[in-house]
Amino acid sequence: MLSMKNISKSFATDNVVTHALRDIKLDLSEGDFVSVIGPSGSGKTTFLNIAGLLESSTSGEYWLDGEDISKLDDKGRSRMRNQKIGFIFQSFNLIPDLNLFDNVDVPLRYRGFNAAERKKRIEYHLDQVGLASRMKHLPSQLSGGQQQRVAIARALATSPRFLLADEPTGNLDSSMAQSVMSLLEDINANGTTILMVTHDNGLAARAKRQIFIKDGQAQELMQGHHHNIHNLAAV
Amino acid sequence: MLELGPMLRALMRNKIGALLIALQIALTLTIMVNAIFMMQERNRQMARASGVDEQNTFYLSNTVFGENYPLQSNLARDLDQIRKTPGVVAATQINAIPLSGGGWSMGLQTKPGDDVDGTGTAVYFVDTQGITALGVELLAGENFSESDISWRERTSNKWPPKIIITQKLAEKLFDGDWKKALGQTVYINNHDPMQVTGIVKSLQSPWNGWDNTEHASLVPSQLENKGSRLFIRTEPGRRDALMPQIEKMLADSDKQRIIRNVKTMTETRAESYREHQATNNILLTVIIVLTLITGFGIVGLAMFSINRRTRQIGTRRALGASQWQIMRFFMLENLLISSLGVVLGIGGAIGLNIWLVSTFAMTPLTPGLLLVGCAALLLVGQLAVSYPALIAARISPATATRGRA
Repeated sequence: MLSMKNISKSFATDNVVTHALRDIKLDLSEGDFVSVIGPSGSGKTTFLNIAGLLESSTSGEYWLDGEDISKLDDKGRSRMRNQKIGFIFQSFNLIPDLNLFDNVDVPLRYRGFNAAERKKRIEYHLDQVGLASRMKHLPSQLSGGQQQRVAIARALATSPRFLLADEPTGNLDSSMAQSVMSLLEDINANGTTILMVTHDNGLAARAKRQIFIKDGQAQELMQGHHHNIHNLAAV
Repeated sequence: MLELGPMLRALMRNKIGALLIALQIALTLTIMVNAIFMMQERNRQMARASGVDEQNTFYLSNTVFGENYPLQSNLARDLDQIRKTPGVVAATQINAIPLSGGGWSMGLQTKPGDDVDGTGTAVYFVDTQGITALGVELLAGENFSESDISWRERTSNKWPPKIIITQKLAEKLFDGDWKKALGQTVYINNHDPMQVTGIVKSLQSPWNGWDNTEHASLVPSQLENKGSRLFIRTEPGRRDALMPQIEKMLADSDKQRIIRNVKTMTETRAESYREHQATNNILLTVIIVLTLITGFGIVGLAMFSINRRTRQIGTRRALGASQWQIMRFFMLENLLISSLGVVLGIGGAIGLNIWLVSTFAMTPLTPGLLLVGCAALLLVGQLAVSYPALIAARISPATATRGRA
């Protein structure tokens, strides 16, 4: 479903070339739950941006759902983001002036669904995250955990091929983090593929696969090597 | 898919900035439409025909300083000399110049008597060549003959028995039917009868702002004055060459007078409407400055709003918005704000116009002008917001994952 081969990203500034990612290889299958961990500045966010088509790689191949991403123009990439990827951000990124209904509606309008279809999807997914009764509320009237649930509903509403979660619990206290994590596990159990970037090793360990990124290079950790993760992350 | 509903709801939650811009647009529309309306009124006034063949006519002043100067015979000599000059079509002595700002006016009435209401008219004393020299068109009746022309002293209050009047004046005097005027007797100075022997299509008075400026009369008299004006019409294209030639000829032929103020009717028109033109230029400047300020205000608000919403725009891009959809979002948002401004502005423009009409007795403004004003401001809004919208469209979707809170 998702296949990256030799993905590299470098930034050139004033005669200095910085390699943010080097030769990343990753294959994601239907129903995977992959966590990506690594220290600050390791290239996690760059990796996530490339995987989510938010920025382009300098070299390498990236196939998503049978399409060669490098061949797409900006419009094509926008369409792929809208149709194939659901985003969950660390800071929730809800639009503060829009109520929950309208927030979940944003990607659905870009998708071009009609009003009835959008309404059905919004209500279903807000109900799924337990916030159907608060559709007319503004994000500022919700707790952080609730806001992240709305963001998850927004990400799921377009029926994406996979969810891309960027530190989804980074701004939440531990009990809210646990509840959001449980929600993600439920979503994965129902068949949605998830790629999650986190710096929380405990949460990372709950994923089916773990990728460790350091100095722009990725390494897949084998199951049962949770202790190693701790050691590596502390580097 | 358009986002009118959510956009409106979001605007309602953040109304101050949008409302201020809408008010600015309303004010601009109010002033712009009325300023254009006033310019149109002036342009209409300036476009009125004077009735004179302005392109081919000029005039000059003849001031005599010699003692015992034979005014009558020398005027005849001067006119004869001018009329014999190749290229001259006609020449006449005249007391006043149309559009020049100075002249004679009298009251005309259809019945004699001190208590009868009269109609004001400009009076031009001319001879048999008056009609041809001015280039006015005789619609009915006949021109004056040599025997009609009488001499008039400066202090005289006597009036000759014939008069030629303009069509507009004839309509005013005879209930809208100018044809009825021919042959009728009208009274000048309340009691002095004059027969209408001719009607000319149009001839304006010396005063462009006068209500009765289309009311003028030609009276067959020659003035026995030391100061007089000669009005000359040339063949097309020969005016400019003949002006210095005739000036020199007259000056050389008689050293007991001064020839001065040689001026074309084209210059006289330009001078007459100089204030109108200046006012129009000022109004145009006001419109342009006001529109620019509004345009910059829109750019400013849009830039501020985009800077404030950078992360939000990145998020929208991440969620699948194309660059065009981001651009369209800001253009549509501006269209909503501008539309509110335009709606408020229509009210303002009509209100100001009602006040102008009632205070300065102007004609009311047309719906067409109002519509053009609205369309122009909506277009200005879209043009002004297009650059900020382009900047917004270029915001990277990766902005959504940067700058963590």
